Amino acid sequence: MKVSYFETGRYIVPADMAREWPVPPAAYDPAIGAEACRGMVERVQFVERVGFDWISVSEHHYSPRILTPSPVVSAAWIAAHVNTIKIALLGPIVPTSNPIRIAEELAMLDTLAPGRFVFGLLRGTTNEYLSYDLNPAEARERTDEGMELILKAWTEPQPFGWQGRYFQYRTVSLWPRPQQPPAPTYVLGTSAEAGSFAARHHLGLGVSYGNLDSMSRATGYYRQQCAQYGWSPGPDDIVWRANMILGETDDAAETALARRDKQAPFPVRAGLRDALISADTTRNIAGQSQRANVGGVLPISFCGGPDRVVDQIRQAREQIGVGVLDLSLTDPGTGDMDAMMEGLDLFGRTVLPRIREI
Amino acid sequence: MTLQGDTPRFSEGFVEADGFRIRYMAAGEGLPLVHLHGAGGTRLTPVHNLLARQHRVIAFEMPGFGRSAENTRTTSTAALAETMGTAIRALGIERCNLWATSFGARVALWLAARQPALASALVLEAPAAIRLAGQIPPSGSPEEIARMIYAHPERQPPMPAPDPAAQIQARAFVMRVRGPDREADLEAAMRRMETPVLVLFGTRDALMPPELGRYYKEMLPNGHLVFVYDAGHAISTERPEAFVEVTGDFLERHEAFVINRVGTVKYP
Repeated sequence: MKVSYFETGRYIVPADMAREWPVPPAAYDPAIGAEACRGMVERVQFVERVGFDWISVSEHHYSPRILTPSPVVSAAWIAAHVNTIKIALLGPIVPTSNPIRIAEELAMLDTLAPGRFVFGLLRGTTNEYLSYDLNPAEARERTDEGMELILKAWTEPQPFGWQGRYFQYRTVSLWPRPQQPPAPTYVLGTSAEAGSFAARHHLGLGVSYGNLDSMSRATGYYRQQCAQYGWSPGPDDIVWRANMILGETDDAAETALARRDKQAPFPVRAGLRDALISADTTRNIAGQSQRANVGGVLPISFCGGPDRVVDQIRQAREQIGVGVLDLSLTDPGTGDMDAMMEGLDLFGRTVLPRIREI
Repeated sequence: MTLQGDTPRFSEGFVEADGFRIRYMAAGEGLPLVHLHGAGGTRLTPVHNLLARQHRVIAFEMPGFGRSAENTRTTSTAALAETMGTAIRALGIERCNLWATSFGARVALWLAARQPALASALVLEAPAAIRLAGQIPPSGSPEEIARMIYAHPERQPPMPAPDPAAQIQARAFVMRVRGPDREADLEAAMRRMETPVLVLFGTRDALMPPELGRYYKEMLPNGHLVFVYDAGHAISTERPEAFVEVTGDFLERHEAFVINRVGTVKYP
C-alpha cells in the first residue's frame, strides 16, 4: 500500500468568520494566508521525512477551506521544496478550464521535474461550477471531451485541430511535450463514465469520500471495463481519497470522532444548494444515480487506534482494490493543526510501517 | 448550423467516361463539391443535404459500385482517378472541390496529384490512403457494419439493406484495385502536392485509427489534420454539423481557416 498526504493549504479560520460558501473576500487576512503557505511547505517536508509516497493537491475555489484554487501553482511550489516524494494533482477541474491550458501546464510540470508528478483529471464538485460559470448540465460531457483532448494534445506528434462538441481548436501543437509516456494519470470519479473512460485509455481511477460498498462498486465497474478493453489494473491504478481519524487507542479516536463538527465547515446556502443539486443530475456511482454532494459533510472512512486502522486499510485493499490511499488526518477547513501534525506523526510511527506489505 | 430547414433535392444523372456509364446525384448551387465515396458505395446522408445549401454537390457512384455494371477494366486507384477526372470534366466542370471518404481518398489524392488544375481543395474523411497491415473494408450484416463504422450505432437510423450481389461485386473491386497499404508513388506525390488538403479523423474510428492522421499531416505540405471528437469512421454521418462547419470553412478559406473569426462579445 502506498500513502498520500492531502495538502490543502490550511488557513486558520477565526472563530467569528462567516461560515457560508462563497466566503466574502473581505474576510481574507493576508497574514493568515501567508502562514497557510509557509505551513504548506513545513507539512510537505514533514510527510516526506515521515515516509509518505505522495503529496496530493486539489482545486477548490472561493473559501478558506481549501486554499488552492490552482493545483498547478501549488504543485510547482511544493516540488521546489521537497526532494523525492511524488506530487499528485488530484486534480485540475477539466470542464471549467481550457483543456489545452491544462495539457500545457501539466506537460510543463512533467518537464520541470520528470518522474515526480502524478496527474488526475477531475469533473469537480457541483458548487465549483459557479466559480467559472459553467452550466452543471454540461459538466459531464465537457469533462469527457476535455480529457480526451488533453490526452491527444500530450501524445500527438503533429499539429492538429479539434472539432468537438464543446471545444474547438484549429491548431494544437504542444511545447513542451510531457514525458512519453506522460506521468501516471488518473481519471477521478466514481461514475460509470469515469470508469469507462479510464479503462478505454488505460488510465488509473481515483475515487473519493464514500463507504467501502460504494467505492468498491465504482472500482468494480472500472475493473470490469478494463477487462473489456483487454487489460487489468494493478493496485497502483486505484487511488482512494478518504478522511482518517487516528488515535493512540480506539477510544481516543472515537472521542475525537464524537467531537468532530457535525456541520460542514463552509456550507452552501440551502436554497442555492438545492438548486445546484437539481441542476446536476448526471452524478452516479457505477451507473447508479447519486445525488450531488453540495458543500456537505464528508465521511470519515478510517477511525481507530493503529491496530484497527491497519485492519481497515487491509479491508480497503481487499474490497476496493486500492493501492494508494490519499489521506486527510483531520477535516480540511477545521484548522486544528496540532491534532493533524500529531496524527501524521502517529501514522508515520505506528501505521505506515505495517501497511507496506498490504 | 442545423439539420432542420430547407434542403435542395438531389436528382440523379449519368455521365459517360472511359466507356463507363457513371451515375451521380446532384443538388445545390455554387462551386462544385465532388464526393468520392468509400468502399461501401454511394449513400446520401443528411450531410449531403447540409452541404448542398452552400455548394453544388455531386455525389458520384464510381464504376464498380452500386447499380453500375461489374468493373473488370480498372486496375488501380490511379486509373480510377483518371476515369473520375474525365467524368467530372464531362459535366463541364474545370475546377471543383473534392470530398473523399475512406477508400475514395486514395482516388482523390491521385486525381489531385495527376490533375492539379482540377482540384481547388481536398477534404479527406477518414482516409484509407495509408493503411495499417491487415486492414480490410467492413463487411457483414447492416448491423455488423454499423457497429464497425459508428462510434454510437444506437444513435443512427438502421442502415438500408444492401443488395448482396452489388456488395460482393464492390468488395471484390475494392480489394483488387486498392493497392498496397503504403503506396510509395502516391506518397511521393503527396509530399509535392500544393493543393490544400483537410484530413479528418474521428477520435473513435475503429477501422482507420486516428493515429494515421499524423502521416498525412507530415507528408502534405498544405495539409491540415482535424480530429472530430466522438465520431467513428463515418464522421459526416455521426457529426454532420461539425463536419459541415469545418469543411465549409476550409473550402472557403483554405489554410486561413485556422484563424478564428467567430465573435465572442456577449452584450455590446
